Amino acid sequence: MIHPDVEAQVDAYLDGELAAMDAVELEAHLAGCASCGRFRDDRLALRTAIAAQIPRVQAPEDLRGRVRAALREAAAPSRARRPAPLMAWRWLALAASLAVVAVGGWRLGMEHTASEILTDEVLASHVRSLMPGHLSDVVSSDQHTVKPWFDGKLDFSPPVHDFSGRGYPLLGGRLDYLDGRPVAALVYGRRRHVINVFLWPADGPEGAARPVVRRGYYILHWATPELAYWVTSDLGLSELTDFARLLRLGDSAAAASQPSP
Amino acid sequence: MGPVLEPSELERFEAVMLPHLSAAYRLARYLTRSDYDADDVVQEAFLRALKYFGGFRGEGASQSRAWLLAIVRNMAHTWRHRHRADASATEFDESVHSEASTGEHPEALLSRTDAREALTHALDHLPPDFREVIVLREIEGLSYKEISEVVDVPVGTIMSRLSRARKRLQDALIDSGKEL
Repeated sequence: MIHPDVEAQVDAYLDGELAAMDAVELEAHLAGCASCGRFRDDRLALRTAIAAQIPRVQAPEDLRGRVRAALREAAAPSRARRPAPLMAWRWLALAASLAVVAVGGWRLGMEHTASEILTDEVLASHVRSLMPGHLSDVVSSDQHTVKPWFDGKLDFSPPVHDFSGRGYPLLGGRLDYLDGRPVAALVYGRRRHVINVFLWPADGPEGAARPVVRRGYYILHWATPELAYWVTSDLGLSELTDFARLLRLGDSAAAASQPSP
Repeated sequence: MGPVLEPSELERFEAVMLPHLSAAYRLARYLTRSDYDADDVVQEAFLRALKYFGGFRGEGASQSRAWLLAIVRNMAHTWRHRHRADASATEFDESVHSEASTGEHPEALLSRTDAREALTHALDHLPPDFREVIVLREIEGLSYKEISEVVDVPVGTIMSRLSRARKRLQDALIDSGKEL
């Protein structure tokens, strides 16, 4: 039987955290008490095993690069007006992913206050959607269920595609309200992450904005001649960009296969 | 919006905090139990640390490490809450994992070739409160005082929590030994 008050003392003793006087007292007890001595040996064996068996992994090298890039972006006085040179690769990565539709050199002006407000709205909608019961009005992984669900609820028909085969399953859809109008929100999953896609008919020029990171969420925005897209998630930027590429491919493929209205 | 920083301030932040990147990653990895999610947590934690760096008054590597790890820990717990993970995996049944485990002693068990697997499994299945103190003490080598700063509970609580965590680890190892 181990003396119960001795357990934590032995741990503290082995951790070098016991005061000198207490340590002397404990050593005397351990010398005379077989069960407590055995307890100490067991704990020593456990510590040795942890030290020998649990690897001290290092952070992946690309994580260092991503952390530094994110820090630079966050520290820049104004990301839109003065993009940090080290962030250029991110913009290039997104631009490359969007090159399938000719975007040209044009960018949406994220510096406009209206756009900043909309970014906040998108983020707030995303966060609200993560609260229990708010994610989807129609829960389905079937694009042929989700797409018709919007009929009669919106004055446009959003393109809906399932990317399960690529690891981004469609989870459902819901109505949301952004930029002063009802919009379609499509919900996709990636492991345990949720991606919200907000879309509505565009009345501005075509183009793509630089990715924005806010409160740990990335926000991507682009516009086709027909629709404005806002995509947000707590996924990493590379995966979210990958998803955005699929979305654009899916939508542009659908547009190409449909007769023009 | 993020803070507006002088470039030299960002450099100072990186010089002080980036050396702790791997420690941050390890803690995030053990708390989220996922490489992907650890990546996200670490990035979020560094952004938050940058935001509040102006208020950091500590000196030396061990204080800056404890300060950063406290942020990583909070981000990881926020992450866990957000994803509602861990709920079932870490429920610990005292009636099963109790003093009644009178089987082999850990020394015999740990000499086996599958010791690493058993230990990793046992660590991964500790409740988060116990997992974090074990990681901070055994893997990162933090003092009780530093751990108490990271976890924000008194040193005495750290002492008893560590002891209970080790007991659970040992019991879990004995238990897994029986199942082998």
